[in-house]
Amino acid sequence: MPVDMELEAVLRPMQYPMPPYPPKVIVLANGKKMVIRQAVREDVPAILKSVHPCLFIERDYYDIVSARLYGELLAWYRYRVKSEYCLMGQVDGYLVGIVNGRLENEKVGMSYHTLAIDRGLRIGSHLFAAKMEYHMDYMGQDEVLIVAESPIGFRRWMVEYPLEETKIPHELGGGDSWRLTREIYLKAKPRLVVGDRPVPQELMDEAMLEIKFADDDTIRERIAGLKGR
Amino acid sequence: MKKEIAITAFKCKKCGRIHYPYHDRCLGCKHREFDKIKPEGNAKLLTYTVIFNLPWGFDQRFLVIGVAEFENHVKAMGQIKADSVDQLKVGMTVIPSWEPVRVQYGEDVYGLKFEPVE
Amino acid sequence: MRDVAVIGAGMIPFGRRDEDTLMDMLSFASLKAMDDAGLGDKSVDAVYVGNMGAGMLQRQSAIASSLADRLNLLPAAADTVENGPASGGSAVKNGLLAVASGYYDYVLVVGGEKMREVTGWRATDFVATMTHPQAEYPYGITLPGMAGMFTRLYMEKYGVTREHLLAVSLKNQEMGALNPFAHVEMALDRDGIFDSPHAIVNNPVSADPLHLYDLCPVSDGAAAIVICPLDMAKKLSKPPVLIAGFGQATDTHTLQERDDPTDLKAVTLATQQAFERAKLKPSDISVAELHDAFTILEIAESEHVGFFKKGEGGKAAAAGKTRFGGQIPINVSGGLKARGHPVGATGVAQIVDITFQLRHELPKNRQVKNAQTGLTVNFGGFGNNVLAFVLKRVEQ
Repeated sequence: MPVDMELEAVLRPMQYPMPPYPPKVIVLANGKKMVIRQAVREDVPAILKSVHPCLFIERDYYDIVSARLYGELLAWYRYRVKSEYCLMGQVDGYLVGIVNGRLENEKVGMSYHTLAIDRGLRIGSHLFAAKMEYHMDYMGQDEVLIVAESPIGFRRWMVEYPLEETKIPHELGGGDSWRLTREIYLKAKPRLVVGDRPVPQELMDEAMLEIKFADDDTIRERIAGLKGR
Repeated sequence: MKKEIAITAFKCKKCGRIHYPYHDRCLGCKHREFDKIKPEGNAKLLTYTVIFNLPWGFDQRFLVIGVAEFENHVKAMGQIKADSVDQLKVGMTVIPSWEPVRVQYGEDVYGLKFEPVE
Repeated sequence: MRDVAVIGAGMIPFGRRDEDTLMDMLSFASLKAMDDAGLGDKSVDAVYVGNMGAGMLQRQSAIASSLADRLNLLPAAADTVENGPASGGSAVKNGLLAVASGYYDYVLVVGGEKMREVTGWRATDFVATMTHPQAEYPYGITLPGMAGMFTRLYMEKYGVTREHLLAVSLKNQEMGALNPFAHVEMALDRDGIFDSPHAIVNNPVSADPLHLYDLCPVSDGAAAIVICPLDMAKKLSKPPVLIAGFGQATDTHTLQERDDPTDLKAVTLATQQAFERAKLKPSDISVAELHDAFTILEIAESEHVGFFKKGEGGKAAAAGKTRFGGQIPINVSGGLKARGHPVGATGVAQIVDITFQLRHELPKNRQVKNAQTGLTVNFGGFGNNVLAFVLKRVEQ
């Protein structure tokens, strides 16, 4: 398809410079080690393969969360969103969870979504915490605006941190934003943000080598937990 | 204004056993007549916990709850005014009060609260 | 009184079963038990359904009549039995008494619950409705909260430690990972839930001093058995399992009104009755399914039923005495901790698991060698209504 490169350049939003998120490793309840690292734009097609099967799972609003995440990551890949980033969790190289967000400006972050592809291991909690860690500790932001699209998210973020209610609209267009301030973050950090750095070389090499993704049925079973009768 | 603790306990007229909540027959001797008594004085903390994952109707992150025994031996459950269990100890003195413990149908529901004493 | 035997047992995998209604689950488990018993097109004389929350969670009442219709057990007698988390055990008891008395010959007992119909907040509230409506419930107390307060007292009195609780948690999850019917088919790692600093997120405090992995999950599920007089059971192909004894006892509604809140009197009394009826003693038991809704309960019950002296249960668990292959294997199924705890189903599921054990039909990694006798304890409220069953293999 011919592309008008001049127009394309006009449509691309500006990007704030973002320092890299230093990877970390977390031991999970089952003893497996999850590497959390930052995705680069070129990783998006591989990540989308794991998001795709989640589009058809109604349970816990996986469909809406993954549909939006799919669009957000695609927008990042096609240069249609300002200052987006994506962090991912990998176990044995397999993608087990994704979080993303962006910078509204240098001081205010906009949290997008958290998708745990493996359930029951607090992967979502760890990844969301990593996202807040990125905004606060590495990008030095003052606050992050957050909404929950599932009751589980509400419990994990709004209640567990606990976040501050605001009347500020969130760009996802749903309920008003809840806010993580630096003060709330620092208070919650000791009980919610964990991980070891640096990641041992062999684990890092395994994660970097390939973003492996389980087949569609496995992903659906892990999330929906559907077992035979 | 401090509200009166609206709990009534029941002392068996035959064996003196104190009951809260109400029973139609004494847990000790099965007698059916009781004197109504009010919890008196401060209380001693018998056990406690901090609960996360609260039931529907509670929006906070956690609740500290315990059971305490009043000076006249009435035992009752209540919410504890504490930010964590680190400041609590079995056997410590707590000061009881009657305050809102939850909201139901838009109305405050009153119950026992215990304030730990250093 | 006639001797009564289990001649059919079946259950469906516990977990989160969004696609099934409560009636689906009750029906699937019933058919499995009826087929296992070889009933074919024959019916049963009566059905007892153990369930705690259909009225609250599904807004459905009279589920036993509905099940009789759905399975075409018509015109069998049908009753729903509600006794909190001991509903399953109570349903078994009702069936047992009906057959033992000579009134009915073939009885289907099924227990089921669909708890994941609602969010965690609602499910927690639903379970909390068994606490005292004036003296406990308004404060926001939950069953894990009751267990937390009980654990604190038990730790202080008997020296139970987090290490002891951890041993139960690791053991039951390890066994659950081998059980295809278990809700949580995942073994846990000591580092991940205890030793590592990351455990603070993986295994946070849930109801101090209990942590997340000290608690059973909230599950959907159903389990069923078919029982009949032992005389009639002997003609069947599978070895009948004799319900050699049962006992049931109650205790005060609130913990604070017990003379010693660490003394689970109803567990002791129910088990003693069951042992007396069965003419057996704790040391005769090959395998036990105890109601470990919280890890502390497995430890406390292992003492109250007489396997260990008071204060020794935690140490015994940590020393591996209650593991598969140990002195007295407890919760080889994974227990409530890993198999899950659909409240109305649990008491029946425990009998199903012991039946499988006593028929020697489990895979090697779960089959207790030469198991001859089994004990189940189904714990209602916070120990205010407890049922115990002693089961025995009958050689044909």
